Amino acid sequence: MKNISIKKLVFLAIIFLYSLLSLADDASKGLEIAILADKNTEGFIDSQSSMEMQLTNRKGNVVTREMKSKRLEVAGDGDKSLIVFESPRDVKGVAILSFSHKNSSDDQWLYLPALKRIKRIASKNKSGPFLGSEYTFEDLSSQEVEKFSYRFLRDEDLNGQPNHIIERIPLDPYSGYTKQIVWIDTQNYLIQKVEYYDRKSFHLKTGTFSGYKKYLDKIWQASRMEIINHQNKKKTVLIFKDIAFKTGLSDKDFSQNSLKRSR
Amino acid sequence: MEPLRLNKSVKAYIFLILVAFSTTTYGEIELLGELSIEIRNFQNEGLFGQKKGHSSYTFSPELYFESEGGKDFFSIKPKFREDAEDNERNLEDLQELQWTHVGENYETKIGIRKDFWGVTETAHRVDIINQTDAVESFDGEDKLGQPMINLSLERDWGVLDLYALIGSRERTYAGKNGRLRMPFIVDTHNPIYESSEEENKIDFAIRWNHYYGDLELAISHFSGNTREPLLIPAQDGNSIKLLPRYDIIDQTGLEALYIIEGWALKLETITRSGQGDRFTALTTGFEYTQTGIFETTLDLGWIIELNHDDREEHSPHAIGTRFSFNDIDDSQLLLGVLWNESTGETNVFIEGSKRIGARSKLSIEGFVFNGGKKVKGNNFDFNKANPLDFLQEEDFLRMELTIFL
Repeated sequence: MKNISIKKLVFLAIIFLYSLLSLADDASKGLEIAILADKNTEGFIDSQSSMEMQLTNRKGNVVTREMKSKRLEVAGDGDKSLIVFESPRDVKGVAILSFSHKNSSDDQWLYLPALKRIKRIASKNKSGPFLGSEYTFEDLSSQEVEKFSYRFLRDEDLNGQPNHIIERIPLDPYSGYTKQIVWIDTQNYLIQKVEYYDRKSFHLKTGTFSGYKKYLDKIWQASRMEIINHQNKKKTVLIFKDIAFKTGLSDKDFSQNSLKRSR
Repeated sequence: MEPLRLNKSVKAYIFLILVAFSTTTYGEIELLGELSIEIRNFQNEGLFGQKKGHSSYTFSPELYFESEGGKDFFSIKPKFREDAEDNERNLEDLQELQWTHVGENYETKIGIRKDFWGVTETAHRVDIINQTDAVESFDGEDKLGQPMINLSLERDWGVLDLYALIGSRERTYAGKNGRLRMPFIVDTHNPIYESSEEENKIDFAIRWNHYYGDLELAISHFSGNTREPLLIPAQDGNSIKLLPRYDIIDQTGLEALYIIEGWALKLETITRSGQGDRFTALTTGFEYTQTGIFETTLDLGWIIELNHDDREEHSPHAIGTRFSFNDIDDSQLLLGVLWNESTGETNVFIEGSKRIGARSKLSIEGFVFNGGKKVKGNNFDFNKANPLDFLQEEDFLRMELTIFL
């Protein structure tokens, strides 16, 4: 009896250790994949693009919004970004400047052109809809590797392409999500699909990425993103146009003064 | 109608900017415009027999150009307003006629423009560059264009703005048939200036602002013609009128905003000398946003702001709730109360807006004034009155449709 229980104990301990190790193994494999995927956007220096957002409601009616975006890579920290709205006309010239940080919450400023006012905003409120779309500010902001913990789940084909599937859990307590399941193709390590699970772990939205093109011989950028909200059945498509990298932007293009003259 | 008063130095600026326009190779050129139609409905006739229904339209075209290298920016934006009832509410103003040049580590902004200072929502203590177009709206956020030369230095230690303000503008006040108006007419055609140069006096201002992580700070100083004139009673035949008196003031301001999780804690304070005794005034409070409440996309923003002003025995406080529906039409609703604990006056307001299609927007605004004493014409006693006494009959609902051209 005694022997058996010791044997059992040892066996259980081995199982426990093994599962711990494999968990650790899954975690490190997940992180490894995330790092490889992130490499595809590393070294972009700066970028500019125009974006068209198509919002489709439950009945299939579509409205469009246009905006311009500028991004700057910051050595050792998150990116700086500036988004300026072009249409609809009542928000033309409204701009959002954000400094994303790897290990702390982002800094964000809103520019209101009618009042000529710059307003610092609490970046905690990033889980709300972005311009009435199915995207949130969180979905569109810089996805730094450090902002999540990872777990490798399995390999699976998606549209006939082999993919790694990893789970990532946002570390920011103000994230709108409990987890995201990410499909990353095994050939180029490009994000193909993300399933978003809300605060109640309900599968709320699915995002897909397509039209990848390679720039500067190393940077991969999707030209089309689409997100479907499974709860309200609404859809948002984001189309990137006039994508350019290494355009000569600097910190000066992401300053308070540049925010005031952004349009 | 208030004519466009262009003094000599302003004319020199216009010339300079036109020269800059004509010697630049242009990149982007934009021609835009806004047309608004406004209807205000008051619950009662005014104390002086003013009508219940008031309407006006505003037209503001805008021409914008950018130089090819992206270093020079020009904008011209006049604003015209015509009111069906009140001539004093008519306006011809140059909101912008400016040339911005971006240098290596500085910017110059020359011409007529607007600049906002401040962090709070319900009162703007520090904001002083532009004169308030007080008849446009009750919240005082509409401004007149200010001629200036602004040098802005942006460095590691923050942004330092230096301003030479070329002349100053006079505040707008409602006329005899206008609403909301005071029991006595403000004679905007006969202002009193302390400075012998009157509205042509060149004023100076300086402001430093920077942020340290989650803390935003700004310190400013203004020296020149006040934007907030005192109203001096004067005999006008058998009755009394008020003359705006623009004293030379010195005002130092401090702005602070601290972000802590979903909270924005705010403080604006000034100290001003030149209009009687030196006084201090401050507004402090917070804004807190709850996102996605009741499992919808609705955001609720809470605003509480407390006021102190040495010139008043008790200042009103403000509490408001902003509903952001985050829908396709960007629907917003702000409900609020201004209350004064010593006089018992409360002032309930509602502001809402909604986009209509891609090119227009509908706004509504309503005010209900409570707790003041009713005023009868010339019996008004300035010394005994509460601030809102003369607004007792002025409850109104305003609707505005803006079309973007």
